[in-house]
Amino acid sequence: MPEDTKVSPIEALPEASREYGAIGEVSDEPRWGMAIDTERCIGCWSCAVICKSENDIPLGMWWNRILTKGDDLDTPTVGEFGGLEMSWVPLACQHCDDPPCMKVCPTSATFVDVEHGRLVEVNQEDCIGCRYCMAACPYGVRVFNWGEPEYPVEGFDLGMVEPRPIGSVEKCTMCLHRLIEGQVPSCVWSCPAQARIFGDLDDPDGELVRAIEERGGTQLLEEKGTKPKVYYLEPRRRRSL
Amino acid sequence: MSVVTAARTAERRSWGPTWYGLLTGGMVVGLACFIYQFAHGLAVTGLSNTISWGMYIITFMFLVGISAGGLIVAAGAELVGSERFASLQRLAVILSGTAILAAAISILPDLGRPQFVWRMIRQPHWTSPLIWDVIIITVYLAIAGIDLYILTRPNRRPGLLRKVAFVALPAAVLVHSITAWIFGLLVARPFWNTALLAPLFISSALVSGLGLLIVTTFVVQRVTGWEPGRTVYDDLGKLMVWFIAADGFLLFAEILTTYASRVPDHLKQLNVLLFGRLAPVFWAEVAIGVVVPFAICASGLRRRRGWVVAAGALAMLGVFAKRINIVMTSMFVPLVGLAPGIPNGRPGQGFAPDPIYIPTWVELGILVGLASFFGLLVTLGVRQLVVPGQAGDAAVA
Repeated sequence: MPEDTKVSPIEALPEASREYGAIGEVSDEPRWGMAIDTERCIGCWSCAVICKSENDIPLGMWWNRILTKGDDLDTPTVGEFGGLEMSWVPLACQHCDDPPCMKVCPTSATFVDVEHGRLVEVNQEDCIGCRYCMAACPYGVRVFNWGEPEYPVEGFDLGMVEPRPIGSVEKCTMCLHRLIEGQVPSCVWSCPAQARIFGDLDDPDGELVRAIEERGGTQLLEEKGTKPKVYYLEPRRRRSL
Repeated sequence: MSVVTAARTAERRSWGPTWYGLLTGGMVVGLACFIYQFAHGLAVTGLSNTISWGMYIITFMFLVGISAGGLIVAAGAELVGSERFASLQRLAVILSGTAILAAAISILPDLGRPQFVWRMIRQPHWTSPLIWDVIIITVYLAIAGIDLYILTRPNRRPGLLRKVAFVALPAAVLVHSITAWIFGLLVARPFWNTALLAPLFISSALVSGLGLLIVTTFVVQRVTGWEPGRTVYDDLGKLMVWFIAADGFLLFAEILTTYASRVPDHLKQLNVLLFGRLAPVFWAEVAIGVVVPFAICASGLRRRRGWVVAAGALAMLGVFAKRINIVMTSMFVPLVGLAPGIPNGRPGQGFAPDPIYIPTWVELGILVGLASFFGLLVTLGVRQLVVPGQAGDAAVA
């Protein structure tokens, strides 16, 4: 194989892996969403790390990170009956149905991608770097290319996602490039605890909608009216330490 | 020409080149900093992913604010048929126009990709308050130009300015309101997300705009010997009493509402302002921007020019502090504040659970450039249109 030919990592995967990550049957107009089971999440940051590699995210930035509930990163919270508890809030773009970032973007660089499951995407070409979207996002999940993007190892990029120019804003795309190839987002595929469920929020029989209904899934900062497409499933039992 | 005047003229002559030299130097510094920033990106500022807006936006708000004084004094006087400030009209409009022009320019260094700013015009997204602001700033600048044109015609038709004033006043109200709505319509920032923000921006704009007008009138008078009229400072001081009272009242009403109703998100941000890291700036704002200038202008001290000028300068400074507080209060406390926080955005800097923001010399250099640009335009305008043909004129040049 010539050195400069890039093979899509998805194509390079063994058949079994591809099957594992396959979205399966989809409707013509899906509304992509995700549920994160915080009962299963072990706070290992695997999804955050694979996200960086999958999307060639420059040093100093994260599209996806794991927040610890409580006062500090390694401090358990005190639950009921005096038991210590620890749980996490994996946080990336919530792909709101009513995204405040999209509304304030002066050039429509941030838009709702109606052709791809109503995800919130950024077209860096149109971004002028005003960072209004960062002020408008209640979740603080957008990051800005303050300087020339730097990478841990030169030439180690997967090249699946276009590099973003200096002075532009970027964030989670829900691995749009993978969805197009019929594969679930990287964070879903890679989670060792299988805490993430990806699917179509408009498919009432799908695993995603059933899980949200059964477990009473909640949205982050629901009261802000942004209508996130990411749901959190609260633990059913206490996880004592 | 008496000996004394001649001596004073000679003294002035020596200051002219220094002043222009300083301003030009300042602009060179600002431009150099901007080029440096353009080459290296906004990484050379103190901004981060948590505190993503800083001095540039604060300065933008401040400049939009100080542009209020001029048009409102000029147009307001015209609408109520007051001749009191007739002597100040030209100066007031020059200040307004220059301030709004500087405000428009101050947005450029804040952009990560200023070379693509034209996309705002090519593909405007109409739901964005930034687009509304671009339009109203353009309109406002045009009105200032028209006003100045009318004011400098040798035989101007009476009543023409009054007609413009019917457009100028609503435009002035809108320019501050829309600038406020850039912040006030954001659900993510409880401290900004209040219906009082637009009225607050108008009142603060009036205070700082009037402050600028008072200080500039004084400086022009001192340097050129231009005579704005005997009672001008007293009259401007009286106006200042009302403006500061309105501004202080709105600020109090906003804080009381939040503090008494104790909505958690909102209260958390307010506490940073009242008792937290921003407390020194906030209480300084109240003292020097509200209490002291109000006391001066509401008392007999108003009849003494020096005191009114001091009050104007303090009020302006207070409003600048207020702009810092408005931006920083919301930026310091993200809604989702769990550890480890938001990534800083620069290699090796990790996360920022408790972010701070200190402007760098690049940001300050660009601000120096902006201030110099403002000063130069005002100086040229004053020399051409306010005090032409006076003894001091040649001296300033």
